Amino acid sequence: MWGLNLPIVLALAAIGGVLAWRRAHTLVWLLYTGGALWAFFRFGFAVPIPQSVATIYLGITGLALVCYASSSRERLAETVQPIQRLILEPRYRLALAGLLVALPALAAYNAYVDLTMPLEAPGFGREIHPPPPTELTVHDETIDMATAENPYLHYKHDDPELYGKHVENGRRVYYENCFWCHGDGMGGDGMFAHGLNPVPSNFNDVGTLPALQSSFVHWRIAKGGPGMPAGGTPWDSAMPAWEKFLTTEEMWDVNLFIYDFNGFEPRALGQH
Amino acid sequence: MTGHANRPTQAAATLAAVALLVALPANAQVDLGTEEQQAAGKVVYDKYCGQCHGDTGDGNGYATPRVKPKPRDFTTGTYKFRTTPNGTLPTDDDLRRIIEIGAPYTSMPGWPNLTSAEIQNVIYYIKSFSSAFENPDRYAEPIEIPRPLESTEESVARGRVVYEEQGCAACHGEVGRGDGPSAPTLVNDKGDPIRAADLTQRWTYRGGPTKEDIYRTFSTGLNGTPMPSYADSLEVEDRQDLVSYVYSLGDGDDPNYGTLITAVYSEEPIDLQDGETLDALFESAPMTRFPLVGQITEPGRNFFPPVTSIEAQAVYNRDEIAFRVRWHDLRADTSGRNNPSLEVPTWDEDNGIGGDAADDTGDDFFGDAGGDDFFGDFGGEEAPAEDDFFGDSGDDFFGDGGDDFFGTAEAGAGGAEFSDAVALQFPASLAPEETPELKPYFLYGDAQNPVDLWFVNLTYGVADTFRGRGSDAIEPTEADVVEAVTSYDQGAWTVTYKRRRSSRAGVSFAEEQYTPVAFSVWDGFNRERGNKRALSSWFYVYTEPSVEQAVAGPVLRAALIVLVVELLVVFLVRRRARQKAAEEAASGGTLTATEAPAV
Ligand code: HEC
Ligand code: HEC
Ligand code: HEC
Repeated sequence: MWGLNLPIVLALAAIGGVLAWRRAHTLVWLLYTGGALWAFFRFGFAVPIPQSVATIYLGITGLALVCYASSSRERLAETVQPIQRLILEPRYRLALAGLLVALPALAAYNAYVDLTMPLEAPGFGREIHPPPPTELTVHDETIDMATAENPYLHYKHDDPELYGKHVENGRRVYYENCFWCHGDGMGGDGMFAHGLNPVPSNFNDVGTLPALQSSFVHWRIAKGGPGMPAGGTPWDSAMPAWEKFLTTEEMWDVNLFIYDFNGFEPRALGQH
Repeated sequence: MTGHANRPTQAAATLAAVALLVALPANAQVDLGTEEQQAAGKVVYDKYCGQCHGDTGDGNGYATPRVKPKPRDFTTGTYKFRTTPNGTLPTDDDLRRIIEIGAPYTSMPGWPNLTSAEIQNVIYYIKSFSSAFENPDRYAEPIEIPRPLESTEESVARGRVVYEEQGCAACHGEVGRGDGPSAPTLVNDKGDPIRAADLTQRWTYRGGPTKEDIYRTFSTGLNGTPMPSYADSLEVEDRQDLVSYVYSLGDGDDPNYGTLITAVYSEEPIDLQDGETLDALFESAPMTRFPLVGQITEPGRNFFPPVTSIEAQAVYNRDEIAFRVRWHDLRADTSGRNNPSLEVPTWDEDNGIGGDAADDTGDDFFGDAGGDDFFGDFGGEEAPAEDDFFGDSGDDFFGDGGDDFFGTAEAGAGGAEFSDAVALQFPASLAPEETPELKPYFLYGDAQNPVDLWFVNLTYGVADTFRGRGSDAIEPTEADVVEAVTSYDQGAWTVTYKRRRSSRAGVSFAEEQYTPVAFSVWDGFNRERGNKRALSSWFYVYTEPSVEQAVAGPVLRAALIVLVVELLVVFLVRRRARQKAAEEAASGGTLTATEAPAV
C-alpha cells in the first residue's frame, strides 16, 4: 500500500506505541524518533528511495529534533539530565566506558560500510502530480482546467449505450497505444515498464485516478512527460504527448476507459 | 451465446461416451466445463483477454497489429507451451501456468490477480473456441519430466555433443545467441517471422527458465513454431545432458539490470587498433547490463524491438575515455543505410521483419517515403542498395510478403535495406549545481538542453557525432573526434568508442563525476532506423577516482573524531560538576568529588 514496506512501518509504530504507554523519557523519545526515521527511510519503502534523498530528509529531521530538544530551558534540562548522570555517577562508570568504546566503533563501522558500499547512480525525487496549468490548449481548442470535465462522462447516466461506445473506443485506443507501459491490467507493469524511470503510473491504485480530476488526466494524456513543469522531471518521463497521435475525442475516450476499467470516478469539480 | 456454449458441451458428452465405449485411453481429459463456467469465463475473457486474443478468440484484438509474437489464435487449438507430446492439446494445468505467469518479454502478461476459479472458467471459455478440444483423439498424457540433474562438467560436455548432433545450432547458433544460419529465415505456422530463442538470456525464455522448462520445451516442441520436438530422437539421458548444456549457456538466472557504469582508471594508453591490449584493459572494468525497450514515445514508434538489453563498461586514462558496449543480434546487417534522423513513415511503425507491410498500400509507402525524404538528409553515406530498394526489394516487399523478403534477406550482404547501428547519448553539458536533477529530454534532447550522440552505423564501423535538440532536430557535429572499432562474433556485436576526456563543445569526463548516459540500438533486420529503435532511459557513468581510496584512514578518522568529541563532553560535564561542587562546598555543602574520566 502506497509503496510502503508495511511490516517495518507497523513495527516502528508499535515501538512508538509502547514508548507512549510507558511514558518514556524525553531523551528516549528523541532517540526513538531519530532512529525510527532512519529505519523508515532506509527500510520503510517497498522500492528503496535513493540514498541521497534519504540523507537530505534525515538531515532535516535531525535538525528539527535538536530544535525541539532545545526549544525551552526545562526541556533541554530534562533531555540532558540523564546524560549528565551517566557521566557523573560512579555506579554508571562501566556503562560510560562501554559507550565511550561503542560509539567510535559504530562510527568506524558506518564509515567502513559507506566506503565499501557498491556505488549507486544519483537519484532525485520528483513531484508525481505536478500542478497543472490553468488553461489547456489541445488541437486548437482551449479549456479551463478548473471547470472542464470529460464531455462523455455524463452519458454514464444519460445514455448508457453511447457511454458504452465511448468506453469501447477508449479500450481500442488503450490497447493500441498504452499497455506497453501502463500494463494490460493497468497495474503500471507493461512489458516496457522495467526499462523506464520514472515507472509508468499504476491506474489500479485507489490513490491515483480517483484523486484526479478528469481535466488533469486529460492534460497529462495530451501533453505527456514533456508537458510537465520541472518539478515532475519531464526530461525523464517516457509518457508520450498523445496530441501528436490521437484526436481530442480519442483522448477523452481513453480517459473514460481507464476510469471505467477500474470502476473509478474522477474527482468531482471543485472538490479538494 | 448460450447456444454456442451449449453445443460443445453436448458434443463433448456424446464424444466422451463413444470414446468410453471403444476404451480410448485419453478420453478422461475431455472436460469443457459447464455452461455457467464458460459464461463466467467469458466475462473474465471479455475484460482482460479479448483486446489481444480477439473477442471471438481468433487472435485479432486491438493490440494484434502492434505486437510480436502475435496473441494466440484460440480457434486453431495450437499451443506452444505444453507438457503433452508434439501436436496434441495442452492440459488445463499447462494453460493455467501460462495464464498465471505469462510469457516474459512478450505482450502476454501473467495474471496473478485472477482467482483460481476465474482462471479455470476462462480456460473453459478459451477451449470453447476450438472444436479440437471436443476430439478425444487430440489429447495425450503429459510426458514425464525427470528431476533435473546437477550439471556436471561431463554432462555439459555430453550435452554439447547432443546440441551439435541434433542441429540446434542451425537455428540457435554455435554458442546459443539465436544467430544460427537459418535464424533469419524462420517463420511460424501463420507465416509470421519468428526468432530462435537467445539461449544465453534465460530470463527471456517464453516457456520458462528452469531446467524442467527447458527439458519440456525441446521434448514436446513449441507447436506452431519451427522449434521441433526431440522426444523421438533423444533418450532421456541425452535430454538431461542437453538440459545441462543449454543451462550452461545461460548468462545467469536473471539479467541483473544496473543503473551505473563505473569507469576504471588505467595508466595504459588506450589503443583501439591493438585488440589484445584493449581486451585486457576492459577485463578490469565491471560490466553492467541495461534494459532496452522500444521507442514508442515519438512518431516512428518501435513496438517490438528484438534487442532487449545492452551491456556496457568503461575505462579511462589521463587524457582519454573509452566505452565498450555489447549486445546480441541474430545477424550482422552491414550493407544498408542508417542514421539517427532517418525518417520512418507511419505505416512502418506496425511492421518489422517480414511481409506484414503488404497490408498497407504501396502508395503510402512511395508517397511519404519516396525519394527525398528517404535519401534526403543522408549525406554522402548512401548504401549501395539504393536502386535495389525500389527495384526488387520494394516490389517483393509488397508482392506476397514474407517469402520473397526472406529470399533477399538470406542472400545476406546487400540484402538488407537498413544496417545495424548503435549510439551512446550524453548531455551536451552537465546540469548546473543548483539543479543537479536537470537533464536533456532522454529522447534525443530538447531545445534548451541538447544531447550529443556517438553514433556508429555498422556498415561503416566508424563513429559519427550528432547533436540532438529533439527527435526532429538532429544535426551532425564535428566538435569532437570520437573513434570506434566494431566486431561481430557469433551473434554478438561489440563496439568500442574512444574520445578525449575534455571536450570543447560537449561534456568533459572529470574524475569522480557522474555523467548521464543513454543507449540506442538499431536492428537493421527489424527495419529499425531513425526514431524506430530500442532505447534506454538515462543512466549514469561514474569516473572512479584514479587513486585508489584507502579504507583504513577514513575509518580511523571517523572513530577518532567521535572519541575526541565524547571525551570533550565528559571532560566539560565533569569540570562543570566539580566547579559546582566547589561552589557548594564554599557555601558549606558537601559532595563526593568526581574522579578522573573512566578511560
Ligand atoms: C512509453 C511509455 C508510456 C506509454 C505508451 C503511455 N504512458 Fe502514460 N505514463 C508513462 C509514464 C512513465 C508515466 C509516469 C511519469 C509521468 O507522470 O509522466 C505516465 C503517466 C501517465 C498519466 C499520469 C497519471 C498521474 O498519476 O498523474 C496518465 C493519465 C497516463 N500516463 C495515461 C496514458 C494513456 C491514456 C496512454 C495511452 C494513450 C499512456 N499513458 C501511454 C508512460 C507511458
Ligand atoms: C496485451 C495482449 C494480451 C493479453 C491482454 C492477453 N494475452 Fe494471452 N497471449 C498474448 C500473446 C502475444 C501470446 C503469445 C505468446 C507467445 O507466442 O510466446 C499469448 C498467448 C496466450 C496463450 C497461449 C500459450 C501457449 O501455450 O501457446 C494463452 C492460453 C493465453 N495467452 C491466455 C490469455 C488469457 C486467458 C488472457 C486474459 C486473462 C490473455 N491471454 C490476455 C497476448 C495477450
Ligand atoms: C528449426 C529451428 C530450430 C531448431 C533446429 C531448434 N530450435 Fe529451439 N527454438 C526455435 C525457435 C524459433 C524458438 C522460439 C519459439 C518462440 O519464441 O516461440 C526456439 C525456442 C527454444 C527454446 C526456448 C523456448 C522458450 O521458452 O522461449 C529452447 C530452450 C530451445 N529452443 C532449445 C532448443 C534445443 C535444445 C534445440 C536442439 C535440440 C533446438 N532448440 C532446436 C527454433 C529451433
